[in-house]
Amino acid sequence: AVPSNIMAKAQLPKNHSRSRNKTRMLFFCLFVVACYRHLASCVGGCTDSLQLRDELRQTRDKAQKLAAANCHHLTSHLRDKSLPEEQRKEMELLWVAFSSSLELLHADMCKVFNMGDIFSLANSAVFVQTGIQGGGSEVAARALSMPDLNQAQSPVLPEGLETQERSTMEQEISQVDHMITDMEMKVNVLRWMVESRGPQYAEPLNSTDSASLALLSMDEEQPGAEHEAARHHSQMLMMLLLLAVILLAAALSVSVVIFS
Amino acid sequence: MTIKNAMRDHGQRYRPRMACLKKVGSAVLLEMQDPKTGVKSQLQRLVITTIPHAITGEDIVAWLANKFNISAEEGRSLGTMLVALGYIYPLQDHKRLVVKPDASLYRFQTPYFWPAQQWPVEDTDYAIYLAKRNIRKKGILELYEQEQYNHLHKWMNHKWDFIVMQAKEQYRAGKERKKPDRAVFDCQERAYWVVHRPPPGTVSGMDYGLDRLIDPNAEEVTETDLIFLTFLWLPSLSCFLPRVKSSVSIGALVKFVTTHKNHDPFLAQCLPSNPWVTDDVSYWTLNMANVEIPTKMRVERWTFSFVELLEDPRGRDDFRFFLKKEFSGENLAFWEGCEDLKWGAAAGMSEKAQHIYKTFLARGAPRWINIDGTTMEATVRGLKHPHRYVLDAAQTHIFMLMKKDSYGRYLKSQVFKDTTKNAINPEEQKFTDAQLDQNARNRRPSLSPIAIRQMELEQKAKLAASGPVDITQVMSKLSKQGKDAPPPPPPKK
Repeated sequence: AVPSNIMAKAQLPKNHSRSRNKTRMLFFCLFVVACYRHLASCVGGCTDSLQLRDELRQTRDKAQKLAAANCHHLTSHLRDKSLPEEQRKEMELLWVAFSSSLELLHADMCKVFNMGDIFSLANSAVFVQTGIQGGGSEVAARALSMPDLNQAQSPVLPEGLETQERSTMEQEISQVDHMITDMEMKVNVLRWMVESRGPQYAEPLNSTDSASLALLSMDEEQPGAEHEAARHHSQMLMMLLLLAVILLAAALSVSVVIFS
Repeated sequence: MTIKNAMRDHGQRYRPRMACLKKVGSAVLLEMQDPKTGVKSQLQRLVITTIPHAITGEDIVAWLANKFNISAEEGRSLGTMLVALGYIYPLQDHKRLVVKPDASLYRFQTPYFWPAQQWPVEDTDYAIYLAKRNIRKKGILELYEQEQYNHLHKWMNHKWDFIVMQAKEQYRAGKERKKPDRAVFDCQERAYWVVHRPPPGTVSGMDYGLDRLIDPNAEEVTETDLIFLTFLWLPSLSCFLPRVKSSVSIGALVKFVTTHKNHDPFLAQCLPSNPWVTDDVSYWTLNMANVEIPTKMRVERWTFSFVELLEDPRGRDDFRFFLKKEFSGENLAFWEGCEDLKWGAAAGMSEKAQHIYKTFLARGAPRWINIDGTTMEATVRGLKHPHRYVLDAAQTHIFMLMKKDSYGRYLKSQVFKDTTKNAINPEEQKFTDAQLDQNARNRRPSLSPIAIRQMELEQKAKLAASGPVDITQVMSKLSKQGKDAPPPPPPKK
């Protein structure tokens, strides 16, 4: 249910199926990168645990698989010299988006790696009391529920030793680094020629709970949410009062007419 | 490093002041947040739920003062530094990054958002953050954020689809979390961006000056460098280094310090108040270049040396006025002309040199200066092929003349005595906290350098127009008048 829901909400350009495939793949990649960021923000906090690290690892693996698939497809298409101009422009857009998401992923991976240095699971007393109470499991579930585009994903059990995981992570970071370098070497996309097609402001999603979230956060920049509700109420009252007065006047005039 | 970093880096990835972040983060903060020995944490009560791990300002200050054995005021400023750097963020009044020693609440920032030396803050992330805020509630961005957003949209246009998509994805992923966690994460992110993209008119704790080419945390000098220095480079230099006895140089330093120590705004008081501390600019307005009445300290500085008098524009005006009374203003005018030639634009240099020659050096010139024969010959010869420093010798001669002769007379003159008498001595002004806040809010940018330069040029033009009279002009006028009419009084201008 989750994947189809998300697919419905996603804005996909109506083009021919090959590029729509690309967009879908890119979309999944972005999706997982966003989830990874949310998980990474919990590292070192009071909810950091073996489970979180495991979720991070799984999300990371997924992101890398998607990234590799995307990279392969985009590179092969852009190196194809016979690509028509319109398609090439689209590919370049996707390319820029993909490379930016790779950079984000790389930055997040580096941060998680470095934070793992300071906040190792063995010494859990140093975890910072950040006020977060739940873990990142919901976000991880969301990330991992994406359809896998390259066949089966074998769920690997977490390795017991942290050091092994760290060396694996180092390798993965350098892999992503190489991927980025490779991409730049193989295809020459002139970034200043690429023009975005989307809107400048992201469309606000229909979120009914944004108002309640506003009530939750104690910031003064949003007193408008509550005040607006109050203003609305006062407006309704005024309208009712006016209606009542009009009715009264009508009744009085009718009675005057009848009794005169 | 990745292509991305290499492209923008140019090797300048070390930001000097940020070397302190490692120490602050790992040392102080981890001890502070220890549930047993750290700062006491409480629950933050909100409308619907409670969120743990909130700490009060007074607890922070007390803990710091206790731990480091310092006064409460110092603890407060240390706490403010922690907040300004972004390790702790305030829950109320989130834009003011200070520690208030009362019951106002703070919370520790998650390590992901800690400031780090090796990762400069990315504009892409900022754009995604602003886009996310706009998704949450349209039109919520403040004016400066709006401007930044538009600016980024222009400069990162190629990535903009990515930014919008990623903002949506991060927003949706965030919605998966529980409500209290979402609120905390939003606060964390907002605090992070208040630190790294401060609203206009606030001071950023992240100001660090220029980037450096070497890592301040790395080892200083390597073996090979040492060998190179001691055996190859220094010996060859030492033949040409000018040598001064240390007793002489140290004596000069000591003399400088003893004369200037009461005038230094760090070592002595800065009257009426130090603008960098209290945000009150009266000190600067009282000491502007073209002020009518100088301050006593400024006038005292003029007595230290002739150079001080000439460097200070107000002092130079005073000196010029004195020389006008004595009819020897041509020396100063010549000196100023030489300075103009030395430091001015290369375009009109030869014309300037010719003008100076005609006005000051030629035989029978209107403002002829008195320099000795050899210098005059050398200067005239040099003027055939004028360059910037062609009048250097003459200028030095005139400078020494003024210093030995006119300067001494100036210090004993009536003009100087009047100036000293009229000089003001501003009282020290103390500000209450509320007034300090108001000063901070009323900070305005000073006059732009372009405006100041224009004022200077206007003044110079005025001076040139009202050509001051010198003795030769007066004499020539007198001789022209002949003996028919009584000699007119020297024209007062």
